[in-house]
Amino acid sequence: MSRRAHSLTLRLALLFALLAFASVITLGVCLYRELERELIRRDDAALVTRVDQLRTFLNDSNTLDLIKSKPALFQNMLGNRESVLMIGTAGKKPLLVVNPGNLDLPNLAPVTMDHPLVLADVQHFSGVDGVPFAALAATIDSGDLGSLQVVAGRLMTERTSVLANYRLRVYFLAGVAALLLALCGYLLLYRGLLPLRHLAKHAHGIGVGNLTERLDSQGAPLEVLPMIDAFNGVLDRLAKGFVQLGQVSTDMAHELRTPINNLLGETQVALQQSRSVEAYQQLLASNVEELERLARMLDNMLFLARTDPASALRQRQELDAADEMERMADYFEGLAADAGISINAHGSGVIWAEPMLLRRALANLCSNAIKYGAPDSELVVSATPSSEGISLRVSNHGATIAPEHLPKLFDRFYRVDESRERSAQSNGLGLSIVATIMQLHSGRYGVTSENGVTCFELFFPGRVLEGR
Amino acid sequence: MNILVVEDEPKAGNYLLNGLQELGYSVSLARNGVDGLHLALETSFDVIVLDVMMPKMDGWEVLRRLRKEADTPVLFLSARDDIADRIKGLELGADDYLIKPFSFAELVARLRTLTRRGPSREEEQLQVADLQIDVLKRRVTRAGVRITLTNKEFALLHLFATHQDQVLSRSLIASRVWDMNFDSDTNVVDVAVRRLRLKVDDPFQLKLIHSVRGIGYRFDTQP
Repeated sequence: MSRRAHSLTLRLALLFALLAFASVITLGVCLYRELERELIRRDDAALVTRVDQLRTFLNDSNTLDLIKSKPALFQNMLGNRESVLMIGTAGKKPLLVVNPGNLDLPNLAPVTMDHPLVLADVQHFSGVDGVPFAALAATIDSGDLGSLQVVAGRLMTERTSVLANYRLRVYFLAGVAALLLALCGYLLLYRGLLPLRHLAKHAHGIGVGNLTERLDSQGAPLEVLPMIDAFNGVLDRLAKGFVQLGQVSTDMAHELRTPINNLLGETQVALQQSRSVEAYQQLLASNVEELERLARMLDNMLFLARTDPASALRQRQELDAADEMERMADYFEGLAADAGISINAHGSGVIWAEPMLLRRALANLCSNAIKYGAPDSELVVSATPSSEGISLRVSNHGATIAPEHLPKLFDRFYRVDESRERSAQSNGLGLSIVATIMQLHSGRYGVTSENGVTCFELFFPGRVLEGR
Repeated sequence: MNILVVEDEPKAGNYLLNGLQELGYSVSLARNGVDGLHLALETSFDVIVLDVMMPKMDGWEVLRRLRKEADTPVLFLSARDDIADRIKGLELGADDYLIKPFSFAELVARLRTLTRRGPSREEEQLQVADLQIDVLKRRVTRAGVRITLTNKEFALLHLFATHQDQVLSRSLIASRVWDMNFDSDTNVVDVAVRRLRLKVDDPFQLKLIHSVRGIGYRFDTQP
């Protein structure tokens, strides 16, 4: 979605305007049609009445004489330029032609004498310049002169202009309605969205310094509540992560203090006076030890910070579980024997894992198990395959870990006993590295400690064959 | 062995120069990329140690230009260990890389590997003083006395015997003997070496396994 952000208010206002325009126009068109039909009916009725009157009127021979002698009278009688009247005998020169507009008269079949005139007899033509033209032809019995034909017509200029005016008004009203509705809609929406703007302003003010602050859901519309809840949820998680991160930084700084203090102190003391070559060598060797410790800690911290699942997962292989268990037993053989611990490694199946990470995780667990294992006990390293994957267990005999410590064991720098006695060998990161490695493999990890047996369990999901 | 070190950090440059010279190598030091490239193109070296982050011309650029002219083995030194950085170096034609901080013994071991020409022939019989190792039969005798070793103890002794007079770092030993390629917090290597000594050295007058304080171990007939 790289589209430009759009204004919801503007969009809805435009939509309102469109709807208003459309509905007013529809109504207008319906009314217009009704009006048009009514006007046509009226005009047609007028024509029928006129011809009817002429039928009666022309029965009298005097009237015919009058037409012949004073045609202007009839012209005036019609009173406007749109009307047409023609009286004559078929095939002869007409007796009277009133056609001020010089309109072309179409050929019309006259309505016979015995037929009474109705509206349907009026015929309509397109006329001049799109102005409709209506005409009616009828046969008249004029006594002496025999049968005459009358054609009466009218060009509907007036009607057309009335209708045009009406149309224009409909458009205008529709436009005004659209504009009004758009404006109302815009104002209403602007007001309606006020709570959102308040929220945005509030959210804007939340920073690192006041991560405990939460968005206020009071007075917020129902529709916005889920968003407020979600945002507050994000803040909760962020605040928690932030505290943890801060704790990790603090812990790391504390951890760094010990080796740096040793380096500084030993070196400064050594420089106080001249010493034997042996003493200097001892100092340097001790420095190397401390520096290696620092380098290891750095390496571990970077490992934990650089969680790049893609590259870890790309290098996964199918590893033989029995081989890997055996490798652990081989590696820790001497260390365990020193502590009087025997290693019992067994298992079967396949582990779908990145080999270095798997060995690192297992080695961390095994070295812990030996460090805290009771003398003359057994360290069991085992692999149990299942349909979904494989479970690796490292369990030792030793002091039971209190339940309250168990969930925190995998936290960075967490130690069950606060004394630094053993910290030369460990830096409190081993188990958090195990946790990170398991997360990279989308696996699970856990620990139980009961009746003097502590068991760490790692579950590696099996290989999912895709696209075969 | 003729080594060119290109390193702008003064202390690092000095200790690399001194350390490698003390091991008997002929070493030239360039303090920046431009000088380094100039030297590399002018003289023929067996191997070049190249720092990545340098002012004016960085290691990448030096390598890019060098590769147009010569294929001297190059070992990169870098303080960054992003995967992308490693791949970039190897794509440009670097032969190996080390992440700072690294142990000096590790650097020396890598340099030796880089300059070794052709695959070394696996010796079937190894003889160090009165110690005899039959690699095929995995049989070890010293002064005619048969010594029984576990698999990993034998692998460790074999590693020592094939790297005589060289200081081997703990991480190198862990990597070669157990295939554990990470710095472990445990002293597994020390324990393993101590147990090997118990069998190979303790009963005899002449000691072969020597601790090199702060670095690792050396297998040598000289104390």
